[in-house]
Parts: sequence; structure tokens; C-alpha cells
Amino acid sequence: MSENKILFNTGMIDGISAEIEKLSNTEESKLKLTPDNADSGLAKLVLTLVELIRKLVEKQAMRRVDGGSLTDDEIERLGETLMKLEMKMEELKKHFNLTDRDLNINLGPLGDLM
Amino acid sequence: MARMIYALVSSGEHPENLHSKLQGIQGIGGTELTKVSYESISAIISENEKADFTAEKEKVIEFAGVIEALSQGFTLLPMRFGSIMDSIEELNTMLERNYAKIRQNLDFVENKLEFGLKIFCDPEKITAELSSGIVAGIDHAESITSESGNSVFRDYVNKKLREHRIEELRLKYAETVIAEITEYFTGMNTMHTFRKMVSETNIIDALFLLDKDQKDTLVVAVAEMQKRNPLLSFMLTGPWPPYNFVDKSIK
Repeated sequence: MSENKILFNTGMIDGISAEIEKLSNTEESKLKLTPDNADSGLAKLVLTLVELIRKLVEKQAMRRVDGGSLTDDEIERLGETLMKLEMKMEELKKHFNLTDRDLNINLGPLGDLM
Repeated sequence: MARMIYALVSSGEHPENLHSKLQGIQGIGGTELTKVSYESISAIISENEKADFTAEKEKVIEFAGVIEALSQGFTLLPMRFGSIMDSIEELNTMLERNYAKIRQNLDFVENKLEFGLKIFCDPEKITAELSSGIVAGIDHAESITSESGNSVFRDYVNKKLREHRIEELRLKYAETVIAEITEYFTGMNTMHTFRKMVSETNIIDALFLLDKDQKDTLVVAVAEMQKRNPLLSFMLTGPWPPYNFVDKSIK
């Protein structure tokens, strides 16, 4: 971005530029499916969806915990389930050599998926 | 070969100005820019190899540069990178079929400018401030301290609950800042859009469309908001061509 387009900033231009660079550097978060990487590309796509659903489930669960509608026993079981889901997800990411950033697919103008 | 469309320009009153403007600008890959006109609108195009239409950073910047140059002097609707037509006939048909809608959109953005406002924060600092409940305007009735756990699973839930509450507080904080911004523009002829929590550090991404003569008012308002929100860093950019406030779908 040319500096004459910046009408106001707080002197934190270096930090902001780094942030913009980070936001625009979407290479890692692009989904690249080619004949040579069909397996890993598909794994990335599937794990991205699984991770998105896992996070939504976690968020909804926390809303219920926060709402105070769960018993102690239910909270225990919820904790165990969520913990196991997270651990399983970590295993799968390791198996397919993927990081959190890989799963955060960039949706262009809509921003990152997660 | 195909025709890359850069923008739809209002060329009614002084078509000769547009012609001379195009002489001084080059399209992607140094190609010549030409116009295809229908009544009072013109599509600005260049003839390119299909390889030029891949969205590489340099080409996208060249494309935006053409739109920027054209916007200095003409009301226009910028097209998305990769908007192509195979032939001039096809382009003429598109202009004719969509003339009323394009004209309406051009009239809508006449004498208006688009600005972007990005608001950043230091996530650790803002979390600490919000957690301590000292940020004005945020209802902190619900403590984020968790009950002591009695099992590893309970501890896990408590950890997640704390993260969830902090996220909710940050969202609420972003909403109060948006409310403050919106209040500033009450009574002004502006359109705006907001995206919250774009990233961990970019908590608000706002766009404004306002009359050209309101540019200075916007700069002053942003400076004032910055003073009132020392935890945040405001960056205002523009003016930009009106990328985000018109419906550019064409038949």
C-alpha cells in the first residue's frame, strides 16, 4: 500500500505493515489440490471441516456450561469428550503433517475460515 | 486472447477526456487500454493472453493500478480481477443488457469515495485489560475466574470456559467500539460495513462510502476516536474506488 493512501495512523506503521503482510500472505492457507498431492490435499480439506465442526461443538458446549444448565457429572463427561476430540485431532494433524495454520483456509474477501 | 475488463466508467459528458486518459495508462503486461462504449458508459479493456489472467500478486497490483489511475477523474465501477469477455460483441451485448443497472450504480457512487479503517490491538494487552474489568463500557458482571477443578476433565472445561469468556468479552468490546464509530456518523450521508475479529490483532475492519467533501471530517473523527481508545491502533486508508458498495453482478 502506498503511504499516500494512509490518511491516519498512530505511528505503529511497522507493526501494522507486518500484520497486513501476515494477512495477505495466504500461501499456506490456500487449498492446493493437484494430481500429485491428491491424498494430502484431501486430508487437509477433510481435517479442515472436521476441525471447524469440532470448534463449533466446543463453542456451543461452553455456552451451555456458561448458562449453568449442566450438572457436575455432565460437565465431567463433556470435558472428557472434548479433551479426547482435541487429542484425536492433534494425532490426525501430526499423521498428515499439518499445522493449525494449514487448516485455517483463506476464504478471500471473507477472511480466514477460523 | 480475451478481453480483460478493468472498470465500467461514466463517460457521458466528455468522452474525449477518457480517450486521452487511456493514452497515458497501460494495461496488464504493458498492453494497450481501449474503451468499448454504450450510450453514457464505457468498459475499459485490454487484450491479453489467457496466461495473464492468473491471479498473481504483481498482476493484481497492475490491475488495481489501472483502476486507481482511471478513478482520478472519472466515476467508475471497478471490476474484479479476472473479469473477461471473449469478444467485443459479447461485451457490447453485456453493456446493452445491463445498461440501466450500471448507470444506476454509477449515479449512486458519483462524487463519493471509499475509505478503509482497520483497528488493531495487542491481543495480550487487551485480554489483560478486559479480564481485569477496567475497560469502560464493558459489563464485567460475569467473572472470568474459574472454579477450582476437581479432575483433569473439569480443569479442561474450566480452561475452555475461560477462553470462551475472554473471546466473548473481546467481541463485546469490538461491538462497543463499532457503536462509538457509528454514533460519530449519525446524520452524515455515509454507508458503512464492519467486520469484527478479523484476526487476533485486527479486531475491526470497517469500510465507509461518503461524499468527497466529507473526507476531512472522517480523518478528524478517526483521530478523535483514537484519542478515546488508547488501547487500540487506528489506521485509515483511502480514498479508494468504490469496490464494496455497489452490486456488480451482471447478466
